Amino acid sequence: MYAWNDEQLMIRDAVREFIEAEIAPKREELEFGDTPPYDLLRKLFATFGMDQMARDRFEKTIAFEKSVEAAVAAGDSPPERESRNEGNDPSLSMIPIIELCRYSPGMVTAMGVSMGLSSAAIMSKGTIAQKERWALDLLTLDKIGAWAITEPNSGSDAFGSMKATARRDGDEYVLNGSKTFITNGPYADTIIFICKLDEGNPPEERKVLSFVLDSGMPGLEQSKPLRKMGMHSSPTGELFLDDVRVGIDRLIGETEDLPSGGRDGAKATFTIERSGVAAMALGMIGKALELCIEYAKERVQFGQPIGEFQLIQDKLARMEVARLNVENLVFRYIETTRDGVSLTLAEASAMKLYSARAAMEVALEAVQIFGGNGYMSEFQVEQIARDAKVLQIYAGTDELQITHIAKDLLRR
Amino acid sequence: MNVIVCVKQIPDPALPGELDADNTLKRDGKLILDESDSYGVEMALQLVTAAGGGAVSLVSMAPNEEVSGLRTALAMGAEKAVLVSDPSLAGADALTTAKVLAGAVGKAGDYDLVIAGTESSDGYTGTVPEQIAEVLGLPSVTFAKSIAVDGDTVKVERQTEAGYDEVTCPLPAVVSVTAGVVEPRYPSFKGIMAAKSKPVENVTAADLGIESVSWAQSITAVEDAPAREAGEIIEDDGETFNKIVEYLDNLKVI
Ligand SMILES: Cc1cc2nc3c(=O)[nH]c(=O)nc-3n(C[C@H](O)[C@H](O)[C@H](O)COP(=O)(O)OP(=O)(O)OC[C@H]3O[C@@H](n4cnc5c(N)ncnc54)[C@H](O)[C@@H]3O)c2cc1C
Repeated sequence: MYAWNDEQLMIRDAVREFIEAEIAPKREELEFGDTPPYDLLRKLFATFGMDQMARDRFEKTIAFEKSVEAAVAAGDSPPERESRNEGNDPSLSMIPIIELCRYSPGMVTAMGVSMGLSSAAIMSKGTIAQKERWALDLLTLDKIGAWAITEPNSGSDAFGSMKATARRDGDEYVLNGSKTFITNGPYADTIIFICKLDEGNPPEERKVLSFVLDSGMPGLEQSKPLRKMGMHSSPTGELFLDDVRVGIDRLIGETEDLPSGGRDGAKATFTIERSGVAAMALGMIGKALELCIEYAKERVQFGQPIGEFQLIQDKLARMEVARLNVENLVFRYIETTRDGVSLTLAEASAMKLYSARAAMEVALEAVQIFGGNGYMSEFQVEQIARDAKVLQIYAGTDELQITHIAKDLLRR
Repeated sequence: MNVIVCVKQIPDPALPGELDADNTLKRDGKLILDESDSYGVEMALQLVTAAGGGAVSLVSMAPNEEVSGLRTALAMGAEKAVLVSDPSLAGADALTTAKVLAGAVGKAGDYDLVIAGTESSDGYTGTVPEQIAEVLGLPSVTFAKSIAVDGDTVKVERQTEAGYDEVTCPLPAVVSVTAGVVEPRYPSFKGIMAAKSKPVENVTAADLGIESVSWAQSITAVEDAPAREAGEIIEDDGETFNKIVEYLDNLKVI
């Protein structure tokens, strides 16, 4: 694909109209008023039937998994999945991401972590009972989810320096540790807590386990939102666990012996994140470029619109190059996914690395084109510049993406 | 209960419009659903839901077999459409349009109620719904700000300058609705995806039994609206409100 088709355009226009009517006017309170984004996100979901679509898809998935389980129990050969991607058009999730990012990338962060990362952690490795108990409500945004791996002393080296622990105690586990920079942490109803099983063995040999926690469990504390540079409409916080007791029903997969010691389970979500970041970048770049073109035509200095100056034209041209490249990456992702082809680690990482850098460059140049106005909160490019920076940090820093690309290329 | 909604597909009002040689609006680009018709579509959908069953069908007249605007209404939940697209109808006047739409209503199947917008956003003649009613031999109620169906009758609150009239009228009838009769829904993603496969029947004037179309009305000239004159600026000296009251009083608006 090289452009959105008629249906996708209709979806884009409808979503854009909703966002411009319902979300854009609330920019001030979302940016500077600590207003949580969840009610607006739920309204978006309900308006376009995204919650019902998630419910329908969930029911289909669970019905299929139950039929497989029943067949296996009866000793029959399990049924084939119809078509892996039937009814799963990735543009349906990409378009709202792109459109939301034209006004509020933070809302996408909050939404993506809840219905994307947190639900995927359960959907990819959980039992059917766990999916029914927690994942459906996350997919519909009825409940808000958080996904907690980062700790004060463990970021890029997430597993290596992880301190959070689970200890067996009778039939139960006792969980301890602290997590930081956790999106939705302050408000989450459902928390995916990733930690290591402490059996008295050296930390590097420990299994990685993921547990599902509910807000309000004894020993679990969720901090207030942390003050931060951008993404103000996405609440970010800390989690503290002090002897939180859980049964095996909260251990994702209800087994300690997931393949690769649970590390795969935690990593399965990285492709979702990386493609999501590309779509976010596209929305932010597109909006920044539109604002800049308008400003370059209107702002007059030395007796002419600044768009007449070649130095400004150079910036606009580079922005358009970035926009086209990121758009092509997003379109490519939509097509490969629709065809059931998954991206390699190098591809997913390259897409994220390029898009994040492009968004940051475009956003800073947008501030430059706006001059002093660009530095003022009243003008939206200031927000885009603050928001764009995090694309190079979360979901794996630029440096980690580079490492992953090289690792994948060199091991072939 | 089945409702037919007359919907117009118009050039996007956000784009600079152009005129054809006969002073009517150029309609060769993409046409969108007239916003003033989205209210009728929504009203119809709500009436059908309230009745517990039935369907909303659309009729439209547009050049070049244009369906973009119809797709929007189908995505909102209408089930099917009859589209009259015929080069001989280009530039048709209001009465001709009404005859054509009345013919299309006849093609759209059984119905209990026909809904139309009070006036289109690009033509503003504001006469087509009543003319359709006349051609179909049905009662016509205009300026509905609310509609409720009760058995074989429709109860309409009809907007007037002073307030509203309560009108009861037997079905079937033609009712024109004002903007704001109901808040039009956004089409759901599922609705948008389903719209493509909903049936749109393409017909010509001849298919409706309308031969040799011609009309008497023509647009002789189009002029720009006069530019707004500069307002009067009143300096604030602490007593400004008196001057504003005096000004409004002179205008006889208070
Ligand atoms: C707004 C926001 C939301 C977040 N949401 C979540 C969340 O929901 N859940 C969650 O678990 N985490 C979340 N995070 C955490 C995020 O994933 C981490 O910040 C990120 O992984 C980087 O870890 P760190 O901050 O500890 O930096 P560090 O890992 O300490 O990195 C510091 C610098 O060193 C570089 N570096 C590190 N290792 C290498 C290496 N091997 N080679 C070269 N350079 C290296 C890094 O690239 C970086 O430039 C969020 C962060 C932010 C800012």
